[in-house]
Amino acid sequence: MGGYGDVQLLRDDGLRLDGRKLDESRPVSIQAGILPAADGSAMVTHGLNVAVAAVYGPMEAHPRKIQRQDRAVIDVRYNMAPFSTSDRIRPGFNRRSREISKVTAEALESVVLVERFPRSKIRVEIEILAAEAGTRCAGITAASVALADAGIPMRDMIVGVASGKIEDTVVLDLDKAEDNYGQADLPAGILPNTGEIAFLQMDGDLSPEEFDLAMEYNFKAAKEIHEIMVDALKSRYEEGDN
Amino acid sequence: MVELVPNLLRQEMARLAEQDARIDGRGQFEGREITLETDCLYNAEGSAKVTMGKTVVYAGVKFEIRTPWPDRPSEGSLMCGAELRPVAHRKYEPGPPSPESIELGRVVDRGIRESGCIDMNSLCIIPGEKVWGVMIDIHVLSDGGNIFDACGLAAIAALRTAIVPAERFDVGDDYTLSVNGTPIMASFTRVGGRYVYDPCEEEELGGDERIHITIGDEGHLHSLQKGLRGVFTPQEFAEIFSVAQNKCAELRKIVAKKEAN
Repeated sequence: MGGYGDVQLLRDDGLRLDGRKLDESRPVSIQAGILPAADGSAMVTHGLNVAVAAVYGPMEAHPRKIQRQDRAVIDVRYNMAPFSTSDRIRPGFNRRSREISKVTAEALESVVLVERFPRSKIRVEIEILAAEAGTRCAGITAASVALADAGIPMRDMIVGVASGKIEDTVVLDLDKAEDNYGQADLPAGILPNTGEIAFLQMDGDLSPEEFDLAMEYNFKAAKEIHEIMVDALKSRYEEGDN
Repeated sequence: MVELVPNLLRQEMARLAEQDARIDGRGQFEGREITLETDCLYNAEGSAKVTMGKTVVYAGVKFEIRTPWPDRPSEGSLMCGAELRPVAHRKYEPGPPSPESIELGRVVDRGIRESGCIDMNSLCIIPGEKVWGVMIDIHVLSDGGNIFDACGLAAIAALRTAIVPAERFDVGDDYTLSVNGTPIMASFTRVGGRYVYDPCEEEELGGDERIHITIGDEGHLHSLQKGLRGVFTPQEFAEIFSVAQNKCAELRKIVAKKEAN
């Protein structure tokens, strides 16, 4: 968190700079099955973020040393396109994308029925085409829809959501300014059907009460976004386009 | 990952070619349906999305301020790169840029650069001190065949919509990048013994060498590339060159139509 306390992020009328209420998410839209070469795919537009996910597999796990005798491994790559940010990003993996890839893979392994596919690998490729705070959450949401689109069995989908704190106030779904100048960010991956949490990170400063409220907002957002995820998958099959 | 080329697929390609047919029902020089979107990415200063059949490609333009080369103090620079990331197909693996992605980026780069559509002197801010570096990054999201043409089209369409972000760099007001021309690429692959335009995935897998031709507004050649194993005759080239002239003119109209909207 930047923690620049002198930047005004809440307006005098109590709304946020872009006119949102404290517990209001940015608009989310989702399309499933947008990449013909992949076994499953999805595009999530969350505010100005654009995240695309492609799923390949289950396929043979190689090199052989990554194989697990009793289950599939999920190989996630989160990558930001060079043109996705204000300053161009040099292509290639960096520490940030490696960490996000790791925790995303672990979250997805918690919901995919990996024991159904011993010794195999499921590849999940997350590409961020436009970034405006919250790309890891948009990526997790996209990956979940892409896995479902690929027909991979799961206990539940994961919805990527985030809350945070600006001007000592807990708010849902930080945008770029709020992320840069806010006091805390709490991204979570929520299983909407079971109410469990498969992914959690946080940085900044939150009291126990603030954490509870932020998670309450996260669960509320997860429920809303889950409906959009389900609709995206349903309309994919209504079109009959496999 | 080295893909296995099924002998049966090659035999089928030869059989189809004898009957003047293609595996997806197209004519020898018939392209797939193309859609072009521009200004579709929030943080890019120019952007485009191209779909051609099962191929999906994005291109984004970014600018940076750099010091000019000492021998060319008033010239900016242009760079075009492509990434064939594992998202695009199961055959692509993670790792440093493959020879294939470097070739792709360089062939697209040459077509745009050599057409002279960007006047490098127009990218000068302060001679000898500050010039603009223009970077076109191409991101292939789905490889359904003929990514070269899709990448070439996305790159020039993105470049032609680019806004120079001068305000953000504190060097004046934003303005539209001046692009004087629309170089377009047309690609051919030998399939079943003859060249076809705009090969699909199966045709690339079961085909042989490929030829990429970039043509400018005046019908002049700006880049050529022959790739993969195989040879061709001058007569064969003459035929596909004349087809390429027509195809490039058609695609140029698609770009112009998009810009007029």
